[in-house]
Amino acid sequence: MSDRDYERIFEEALHREIDRRRFLRQAGVGMASLSAMSLLAACGDDELGGGKKEEAKQISGGKVGGTLAFSNWPLYIDIDDKTKQRPTLNAFKKEYGAKVKYTEEINDNNEFFGKVRQQYAQGDSGGRDLHVVTDWLCARMERLGYVQKFDKSQMPNAVKNIEPAVASPDFDPKREISMPWQSGQVGVIYRSDKTGGDLTSVNDLFDPKFKGKVTFLSELRDTVGSVLLADGKNPEDADLNTAMTAVEKIEKAAKDGQIRAFTGNEFTRQLLKGDSFAALGWSGDSVQLRVDNPKIKFVAPGEGFMVFTDSMQIPVGAPNAVTAQKMIDFVYQPEIQAQITAYVNYVPPVKGVKEILEKADPEIAENTLIFPDLSNAHNFATLSPEDERELESAFQQAIGA
Amino acid sequence: MAALRARKGLLPWALLAPGLVFLGVFFLVPLYYMAEVSLKEGSLEEGYRLTWAFDNYTNAISDFSEQFIRSFVYGGTATAAALLIAYPLAYAIAFQGGRWRNALLLAVIAPFFTTYLIRTLSWQTILDDASPTVDFMRTVGLIADDGRLLQTSGSVIAGITYNFLPFMILPLYASLERIDKRMLEAGYDLYASRREVFRRVTLPLSMPGVVAGSLLTFIPSVGDFINAEFLGTSNQTMIGNVIQSRYLVVTDYPTAAALSFILMLIILVLVLIWARVAGTEALMGAEAK
Repeated sequence: MSDRDYERIFEEALHREIDRRRFLRQAGVGMASLSAMSLLAACGDDELGGGKKEEAKQISGGKVGGTLAFSNWPLYIDIDDKTKQRPTLNAFKKEYGAKVKYTEEINDNNEFFGKVRQQYAQGDSGGRDLHVVTDWLCARMERLGYVQKFDKSQMPNAVKNIEPAVASPDFDPKREISMPWQSGQVGVIYRSDKTGGDLTSVNDLFDPKFKGKVTFLSELRDTVGSVLLADGKNPEDADLNTAMTAVEKIEKAAKDGQIRAFTGNEFTRQLLKGDSFAALGWSGDSVQLRVDNPKIKFVAPGEGFMVFTDSMQIPVGAPNAVTAQKMIDFVYQPEIQAQITAYVNYVPPVKGVKEILEKADPEIAENTLIFPDLSNAHNFATLSPEDERELESAFQQAIGA
Repeated sequence: MAALRARKGLLPWALLAPGLVFLGVFFLVPLYYMAEVSLKEGSLEEGYRLTWAFDNYTNAISDFSEQFIRSFVYGGTATAAALLIAYPLAYAIAFQGGRWRNALLLAVIAPFFTTYLIRTLSWQTILDDASPTVDFMRTVGLIADDGRLLQTSGSVIAGITYNFLPFMILPLYASLERIDKRMLEAGYDLYASRREVFRRVTLPLSMPGVVAGSLLTFIPSVGDFINAEFLGTSNQTMIGNVIQSRYLVVTDYPTAAALSFILMLIILVLVLIWARVAGTEALMGAEAK
């Protein structure tokens, strides 16, 4: 056996149990029909959206302890395969005496928002102390006054150890209402045995050679941002008109049948089956895909690539906000974060993790999917609420709905 | 006596009460709120105000006429296909089933013990580009070498047909099974051929099943979005997909509510026309006789 084979067996052993957090995205659609009904039933409130714009309330006082209700995505924290316990949460309990009620209830940003919107609007967190959502939804939560402001003086690790690349997004420059949980890359994932060569750019997905054999993501910012980069535009300072040029390009390709589908985690199945040869996809999924089929490759596009960040927030009315704040600070200790990273294989937002893993688990430390060169990474501009709605509306129409 | 009559007058209402209360709370009240939302303007951030914005309706129609038309074409085609498949099947079970009848009916329903979502997802496996189905059809030349089954209009319609088939079979079976066999014998006694007996006796007597089955299939299939989501592409989306995305993704509640209302109205009109054509007595009268 060659070195490569050993490498693969190692990787397989490492990742077999781990599916990615997007796992339930599909099933989420079924749930969505249910939440649509509950939305319908309750749309009578005069203040459908809330509409009140207040400065977020800062967390103060209180004692760390009791029970902490933590809502996160499936398979997004370390689990001991033998005991089925979560080591990070156990360590937290040991240190602060606080029990963690950990719920994997978030499968899709929009679906989660639909589910909690009404409670949050009334200042009721539904018992949640901490939730994890993608940055654009973090921004919306803040705009609607659904989240609380951190007391950073109580979060020394978070202040000290946050990775500079994710420390000051435009919607929360001082990280006062959101703290990154994990980040991931958006790139081109392709079947090297079917494409007849290596792909390097998102523009390769528009190659007529692959007509009907490529898929894009249904997540607006990932797809539109990547296409903007491919056209030499910067998604960080793109205004509505610029973004619309990308939407038009995508719409045309969809109508012409170049793009076969817009997917969530679904793109993995299509690649494995050969229904598609190339896809815009998430880095975390590609780790698993390469285990299933070594011919599948991930490339961070040469023109630059999008990163998404999922962040922790403390919703209004959280019964145990002080402990939630302590939990955020807790995972910003490099040793704790290294433990999470080694399991979930996303990009950690904490400095010093790579150094720890270089000793403990060099394979992971060398994986560019987990520790990418962030100099070429891009975020999507935070748009005004009107622009966001208009762009989302146009994008949804482009993808058929 | 008077008291007894009064009590008699109240009894039907007492029996109706649970159903009426249920419909009132879970159908009429949401319907009222939905009507109100459909006439509002605003956004999630600013809140929504009732401005009697009837252009929500005109905009919804002009922006999404394509998906409306597609929904009715798909729903109609699926209903017709389901009728063609279900009628012979129900006929065979009812008349030739013998002691296997119950077992056969169970076999019809058995796949539906699995959830809707899983059944639809497994169609992806049956139809994907590398599946034996596609392989076979390529070999015999039914589809081109670079052609596909999955993510076409055909796969969406097939998925809908399959998913709603029992709603067609069961009412058809119920009405066919109830036919008095002596009627058919009378037909033969009057020197009618098998075909004529079917056309002039069996088919008219089974019309209640045809009408009920086609309504039960057509109405949910027009509003379906799961099949288009998993078996189609962006060029096969139906109005249900649009409503879902307006509600959950764009958070444009007024348009979503308006779309739901338009869909409901069109379906209502079509059902009334259908009832006229097929005759409401086909649905109820024949059984009352």
